[in-house]
Amino acid sequence: MPIASPFHSRTAKLCSSNSWKDWAGVHAVRSYRTSHEPEYFALRNSAGIIDVSPLFKYDFQGPDAARVLSRIMTRDIEQLKLGRVAYVCWCDDHGKVLDDGTVARLDDDFYRVTAAEPSLSWFHRLSRGSHVSITDTTSAVAALSLQGPTSRAILLELAPREVEGLKYFGITTASLQGHDVWISRTGYTGDLGFEIWTENHQAEAIYDLLLESGRPYGLLPVGLDAMDVSRIEAGYIMNGVDYNSANHCLTEERKVSPFELDLGWSVNLDREPFAGQAALQRAIASGPSRKLVGLDIDWDELELVFDHYGLPPELPTAAWRDGKPVYELNGEWIGQATSGVWSPILKKNLALAQIKAEFANLGTRVKFEITAEYRRHSVSATVVSRPFFNPARKRS
Amino acid sequence: MSSAYDVAIIGGGHNGLTTACLLAQAGRKVVIFERRPQLGGLAGSEEFSPGYHSSGILHDSSGVRPQVIEQLRLESYGLRYDSEPRPVLIPREDGRSLLLWSDPERSAAEISAHSQRDAKTYHQYRAFLQRIAPILQRVFTRPPPNLADLGLKEALRLGSQAIGLRLLGKSDMMELLRIVPMAVADWLGEQFETPLLQAALAAPALHHTFTGPRSPGNSLNLLLSETLSSRPLAGGPPALVVALEKAARALGAEIRADEAVEEVRIENGVVKGVVLADGENVPARVIAASCHPRHLFLDLLSPRHLAIEFEQNIINFRSRGTCAKVHLALSSYPEFPSHPNYTAARIRIGGSLDELERAFDPVKYGEMSERPILEISVPTVTNPETAPTGHHVFSILVHFVPFDLRSGWTDISRQLLLDRVVSRVEEVAPGFTDLVVDAQVLTPFDLEVEYGVTGGHLLHGEPAIDQLIQRPVPECAGYASPIDGLYLCGSGAHPGGGITCAPGALAAAKILRRRTGR
Amino acid sequence: MAEKYDSIIVGGGHNGLVCAAYLAKSGKRVLVLEKRQVLGGAAVTEEVFPGFKFSTLSYVVSLFRPSIIRDLELPRHGMEIIPLESAFTPHFEGPGLCRWLDPARTRREISRFSVKDAEVYPEFSVAMTKTSRFVKAFIDAPAPDPTSFALPDLLQLLRVGRALTKDGASFLDLQTKLLTMSSADFLDRWFESDALKAPMAVSGIIGTFLGVRSPGTAYVLLHHYMGEIDGAFRSWGFSKGGTGQISLACARAAEEHGAEMRTGVQVQHIQVKNGRASGVVLENGEVIAAKTVVSNCDPARTFLGLVGEDHLDPEVIAKVKRYKFRGSSGKVNLAVDRLPQFTGREGTAHLRGDIAIAPSIEYLERAYDQAKYGEFSSRPFINMVIPSIMDPSVAPPGKHVISLFVQYAPYHLASGPDSWPQHREKFGDTVIDTIAEYCPGFRDSILHRQVITPWDLEQEYGLTEGNIFHGELTLEQLLFQRPMAPWSRYRTPIKNLWMCGSGTHPGGGVMGAPGQQSATHLLKSGEI
Repeated sequence: MPIASPFHSRTAKLCSSNSWKDWAGVHAVRSYRTSHEPEYFALRNSAGIIDVSPLFKYDFQGPDAARVLSRIMTRDIEQLKLGRVAYVCWCDDHGKVLDDGTVARLDDDFYRVTAAEPSLSWFHRLSRGSHVSITDTTSAVAALSLQGPTSRAILLELAPREVEGLKYFGITTASLQGHDVWISRTGYTGDLGFEIWTENHQAEAIYDLLLESGRPYGLLPVGLDAMDVSRIEAGYIMNGVDYNSANHCLTEERKVSPFELDLGWSVNLDREPFAGQAALQRAIASGPSRKLVGLDIDWDELELVFDHYGLPPELPTAAWRDGKPVYELNGEWIGQATSGVWSPILKKNLALAQIKAEFANLGTRVKFEITAEYRRHSVSATVVSRPFFNPARKRS
Repeated sequence: MSSAYDVAIIGGGHNGLTTACLLAQAGRKVVIFERRPQLGGLAGSEEFSPGYHSSGILHDSSGVRPQVIEQLRLESYGLRYDSEPRPVLIPREDGRSLLLWSDPERSAAEISAHSQRDAKTYHQYRAFLQRIAPILQRVFTRPPPNLADLGLKEALRLGSQAIGLRLLGKSDMMELLRIVPMAVADWLGEQFETPLLQAALAAPALHHTFTGPRSPGNSLNLLLSETLSSRPLAGGPPALVVALEKAARALGAEIRADEAVEEVRIENGVVKGVVLADGENVPARVIAASCHPRHLFLDLLSPRHLAIEFEQNIINFRSRGTCAKVHLALSSYPEFPSHPNYTAARIRIGGSLDELERAFDPVKYGEMSERPILEISVPTVTNPETAPTGHHVFSILVHFVPFDLRSGWTDISRQLLLDRVVSRVEEVAPGFTDLVVDAQVLTPFDLEVEYGVTGGHLLHGEPAIDQLIQRPVPECAGYASPIDGLYLCGSGAHPGGGITCAPGALAAAKILRRRTGR
Repeated sequence: MAEKYDSIIVGGGHNGLVCAAYLAKSGKRVLVLEKRQVLGGAAVTEEVFPGFKFSTLSYVVSLFRPSIIRDLELPRHGMEIIPLESAFTPHFEGPGLCRWLDPARTRREISRFSVKDAEVYPEFSVAMTKTSRFVKAFIDAPAPDPTSFALPDLLQLLRVGRALTKDGASFLDLQTKLLTMSSADFLDRWFESDALKAPMAVSGIIGTFLGVRSPGTAYVLLHHYMGEIDGAFRSWGFSKGGTGQISLACARAAEEHGAEMRTGVQVQHIQVKNGRASGVVLENGEVIAAKTVVSNCDPARTFLGLVGEDHLDPEVIAKVKRYKFRGSSGKVNLAVDRLPQFTGREGTAHLRGDIAIAPSIEYLERAYDQAKYGEFSSRPFINMVIPSIMDPSVAPPGKHVISLFVQYAPYHLASGPDSWPQHREKFGDTVIDTIAEYCPGFRDSILHRQVITPWDLEQEYGLTEGNIFHGELTLEQLLFQRPMAPWSRYRTPIKNLWMCGSGTHPGGGVMGAPGQQSATHLLKSGEI
């Protein structure tokens, strides 16, 4: 039985579809109306506001905060500058990914971590003997994601000074009509966007304020279905969908290294010891055996398959996340697509997949399994670069 | 870079000294650091009261491996065995006592005074122990199997042990497999009917454990204590320490007492040396730690160098001391009504399994036994010079006493403990209280403070089967730790605690097989 | 000579009935003899008070083999399992701890005591599930015999060895720890909060004469995770219509295949001649011949009672005599006119599962300490279930039946087991008083009460020393040593006499596995 988010009184009123899901034990809107498409297009053309409060949040405070975070994360957090946010993942002793999220440096000795899963116990284990206090602020801090081309304009109305100079992956404090919040230029849509972090008691006021200010800019409340479409277009992975936390895996085969997730860029190996370091050093020496790639699934072939049955291509409008096998051209299994979507803006059928490393080069042709009229078929797909959709405004 | 020392040894207890001697004998340049001013650790002698000397915190020397004495030629440094047979006196309140000898015949004769049936069964009991002894000795005098990396060689070695087990004969093997997981109360209860005999045989299985007679699994501890000991040394553990120290010096090992290691220095996963309390940096290529594994990994090392699983395993290594040590200075030897004028060197107090079980119950709740069970050694029987003429020393292992007494360890609670010990002896030796001239009480808490044994556990960790098979934890069960160049050589390593020299010797052998130039 | 029966099964408990059904299904002529008027043994439903039907003894089902349900088509014969929905532990103050099927809700509940524990809880279940896969193989196969030199046995041992070490030393370490540690110590490795550890630890002590701090109790923790990998249903559930329904369904399946059932028939002894069983002799002198006799009774009753020492080797007699029973539990069944109201919890959702009076590890251990010296616990561990809340067919509308499993109630009271009748009502009062501490007004809701002591379990249900599992489930009485080596594969020292009860591998509980496997072995033996 999920519980209410700090924004529930607002989102519940707006959610005319009554389409909810359970996100980490919290009621979360799938789509506010029957179709998520208007919400998706708001994200890409105007702006959308998404309740992301169920994200797990942990505050690290104290002189050893950066040291401890550096021991936890594969990335060297001691290098993170004040007012910056870093995308991170963290691993177990065997260099297998436990979770991914962000670390924001809020002050000299004050950091905030977001995670997809409860992680306090793990963080505690890695902080023995250190001067740091780690607090679970998940249920104390509400979070809104304001995403889309007009998101900056909306915030500029409310906090021009703070938002004006806020760079991609920057974070700042701000006052929204007397309400103190943190604003970071981050998000999960691959577009221009911000996330607003506030104490629970101000949540509803902030929500009302943003909705009101956003009205002239085409702001819509957006649910998780539309966000899922946009995050796949952006090529972002999701814990529990595109990979499984090593903590939940019953077999070794299911666990992944950061290199296999194409997160090698976030691994700083040569420094003080950190969790999984030795294993990651060995992993990089041997090279990943599989890799996360983007797949562009051939539309013409797909059309032909359906045409054979006298049907137009039948595709789900929402993103899918039930794995599908991927084959070599000769039919050998080489991996699985873990999530995918028909991109409404690119007009492409896209997927994220983990396949054997030798097939991971850009341009490699592989086979992707589809079902048409209850029968299995395979169509060609090409390994393409991610993000699939990468507007300049994201970073500008 | 050439280090000043090949090996630095942390802790100058009997295992640290054994490792030092064997490595020095093989030509290694060795230094030993001992935190306390005198060597010996739990085996060393102390003058606990003017003129009265203790014979080691652990006072039983019969487990020392003869191979070590032989290899280090400790006889040439004055070490010798005690030639007298020394029975254990198990007195009872009503004067109906029992003497147990290492000779089964003599013991059976004593037992027959209590029960003819038990005397007969006792023969079978000892015969069974004798048949299985070689199997257990084989396991506990050799290095542990490397289960982490079960190669062909290991598999063959394990296989040969398994075949050894199989060659016992089907019925003995079945019996051994049946007994190991049992509670001593059940196994002894099946065989014997005399409560005093049951208690006398059960008590050693409980020593230093967090178990009572009804706790499953401690039959293994009984089997081990019955099969792994030989003759005691003349002068007890302190004599061993003296001989080892002489040997170490003669072999060229450097001994630095009163110098505590504060940190083990590690670079890129390789040991570089130790840092002493005064800040001195001593480089060494190998470090062998005879201290408690928890102290080594959790206090002397920066957590950064440990894998999380390993660290958690070390944190979870069970080491809750249940034994206090009491030394009593006596004006004369007490009189036991059943054996007037008899001066037993060993005395065991605890009259029935239920009595033992009731002694165990409180420790589970952070309380001490009201009527503790006592294992008493009287060193002055064999070495009268360790006390003023005619006076005696009672060296008493007291069970069960918690490390973390719920009400806290204070002078008042220490006095209460002493009173309970003295009055427990008084029950079987009337007039005893008046003989006590002076006393020293070391609670498990005191033992941790004084000897650095985590949780006050004198065996450096619970001797439970899971902590014996891969001791202390799977990642460093074969003396080598996950950190290159860092070895365990104390009671926290295979085959476990007690005055045996076995972990020290096996660790030395492992270190000598180390490939250099890595 | 033409016997009328291929097999006579002595005792119509659920294992006997499962065995009978499998034998009958293979075309064998089978007769089941049950002493009581009702089939099911310890798995019975009885209308103890008018309108109130109780699962008199065994009250929840765990690990009943899904293959038996499929093979015998038990749902067609009326078997249905309703899974428990929660696990609730009340406390003196506050709402206690309730674990739910919803993992996020469980996490929030545990977080009130420890955020860390709440997080580790799912990790723990991953570790246990991995282990369960390993252990499951032992339940569904005969126990390997480490002392045998026969090739199949050696190969089986080798497989076990390989499975143990293939994941490296840490998996082996985990197995060793599970087998040899106490449940309290084992849980200490994962969790810090007593409120969570205590109700988890109790699964390690149910039916044993051990405490949560006794080594060797940890492995039973696995039972809770075994069901998850069986696929058929969750680990714990009620049988619709009471546990007796399972027995009846098995009986119907057996009858459909031609097995005969006779109830109210006391077997006086098993006919043994020249070390060979040839049938049974009833109390009334009637002799029934059969090619084989299968005993569903416990080992003591089978060998010392039905066979008799005259037909046995002294060594076998000694082994049977040292086999440990020492029952440690009792049962209180209540008819109530309303649901219990626990302090600090509204509604009834938390009553739709298993309710444990297990507020702390110390509470449980102290309960055990008393039992060691021959007293029943003055504040016992109680496992409460209210089947009528999910299965209204067992109580009149608006009223309920409550089943209370109570430990420790040692068979061997200091004043002797036969003094139990004098203590029965005081024992019942203790149980009610204990619950009332968490549940004000509980006493007033009671319409009827039935108190079953270990003595009653022995006298009425034939469970020696009141042991509900036909002998303790301790390591030295499991696997190839259940009930004794080398007689662990359902055969006995008497030719043509077999065993099929909980005293054989893999042991007790309403699991059906001994019945199923004994039938398989008997059919393979060629003796029938």
